[in-house]
Amino acid sequence: MPDSPATLAAPEVLVSANKVCRSLGGRPILSDVSTEIRRGEVVVLIGPSGAGKTTFLRTINHLEQIDSGDLFVNGHRVGYRKLDSGRLIEDSTRTLAKQREEIGFVFQHFNLFPHMSVLENIWHAPVRVRKIPKQAAVADARRLLARVGLADKADKRPASLSGGQQQRVAIARGLAMKPELMLFDEPTSALDPEMIGEVLDVMKELAQDQMTMVVVTHEMGFAREVADRIIVMDAGRIIESGSPDQIFNNPQNPRTSSFLSKIL
Amino acid sequence: MKFDWTFFFQSLLTPSPAFLTGLILTIVISVVSMALALVLGTLIALMGRSRFPILRWVAGIYVWIVRGTPLLVQLMIIYLGFAAIGLFKFEDLTILGISLLAAVQAAILGLTINESAYVAEIVRAGLESVDRGQTEASMALGMRPGAAMRWIILPQAMRIIIPPLGNNFNGLMKNTSVLSIIGVSEMFLVAQAISSATFKTFEILIVAAIYYLALTTIWAFAQALIERKLNAQVGNDSAAVPVFKRVFAPRVRKQLVLEGAENA
Ligand SMILES: Nc1ncnc2c1ncn2[C@@H]1O[C@H](COP(=O)(O)OP(=O)(O)O)[C@@H](O)[C@H]1O
Ligand SMILES: [Mg+2]
Repeated sequence: MPDSPATLAAPEVLVSANKVCRSLGGRPILSDVSTEIRRGEVVVLIGPSGAGKTTFLRTINHLEQIDSGDLFVNGHRVGYRKLDSGRLIEDSTRTLAKQREEIGFVFQHFNLFPHMSVLENIWHAPVRVRKIPKQAAVADARRLLARVGLADKADKRPASLSGGQQQRVAIARGLAMKPELMLFDEPTSALDPEMIGEVLDVMKELAQDQMTMVVVTHEMGFAREVADRIIVMDAGRIIESGSPDQIFNNPQNPRTSSFLSKIL
Repeated sequence: MKFDWTFFFQSLLTPSPAFLTGLILTIVISVVSMALALVLGTLIALMGRSRFPILRWVAGIYVWIVRGTPLLVQLMIIYLGFAAIGLFKFEDLTILGISLLAAVQAAILGLTINESAYVAEIVRAGLESVDRGQTEASMALGMRPGAAMRWIILPQAMRIIIPPLGNNFNGLMKNTSVLSIIGVSEMFLVAQAISSATFKTFEILIVAAIYYLALTTIWAFAQALIERKLNAQVGNDSAAVPVFKRVFAPRVRKQLVLEGAENA
């Protein structure tokens, strides 16, 4: 397959994965994962622990390498050049960094920068990476902080915030880069139950604002309410994909039913 | 036994120009060697984390050899050994109007190499103490490895790195006394010369010891101030410990440093 995929002609497709494979130590982690994610779509990725959800999510911004397959974001192959022989050659760190600027990633454990104030966490990458004038970036950071309901925490250290607050800052930090796509890896799994709602609310608003999102989560209420599409993974494969209504009320794959019966 | 108090106080309070010159040389050699060792040691530490195995190898072998052999032997090899087999001979130099004797050049080179291996190990441990998630968050925001190191990893590693570096500088200042063996007229060689000229061996050695103690004590205060400032920057409680207590109650300080690491 050439480096300019057919999907270039259809710009509404933001992420396109075709037979993405990954193995570690001879063990397959991702096997022939193929899917397309349209601009503005909210996709929720579910499946049992060890299914490969995190790994797949991380391949989309090349935090994880792939062995074979084609993965495009916004028409550009992610992480590699493909030779005529079909071999994948990893991109330079400069190219990788450029690609990642367009993709926000929210981690399970927030990974805020502890030596910076909350506000600096948000404006740092726009200033250092995007080269936006600091004044504009700081103003933007304040706006984002207000948007996630934490305007009064600007000068605090991340460590002095609750988990839910930290995760909201992490979302604001991702949004500050004005990404085309936001990836969430179990953003509420490390939180006390009473803080899950505040983070999901921020994500719901983001979805309403037409942000393209891929969310790994075990919050089935969120999936049912917000997802345009649910992808079910098991043992490194996509075993089923469909609307929330289809997946929850009429699952086709018995392993989907068995997973849902355990979690619901 | 007769202790010449008059000679003792004279030497202590109004040291001879030769002694003062020796003292200044001790300080200059210490500061210059430490500064160069910080640069070289950091480079070696970064090499040790390189993607390229050959660089990791070179760094590993360098640290292994330098830490595994005595400083005095290293100095003798650099100054006398290399010249003896015709590999390299130090010549007196004048750079920017400052005359640098051959032995002083060899001393600075030897101390730099020796110290850089310890610095490399300290920096490596500091870098490793920073959570992997910090690098991933930096990458996900579009930072290249160098930028992530500069803005995210190093500032956090600094708090772990600074205390042992300070202790090493203390050691380096005392180690300059071995330079007398290759004929560098630092403070200890001058003291020995005074001793053989006056036979007041005990008195002049005590004076030299007091001057070393003064140097290391002044440095201990400087170090305490730096550490306090670093801890204050990350909002750490141990910043409240008074400098005097830090210098004279090192056990307390050590505990606080560890606590600081956990709070990161
Ligand atoms: N660095 C790694 N080395 C070896 N195996 C790994 C590594 N990372 C993940 N795995 C394995 O890959 C599989 C998928 O992991 P992951 O993508 O984290 O699943 P999920 O997020 O769905 O729980 C798991 O079986 C896990 O043990
Ligand atoms: Mg996971």
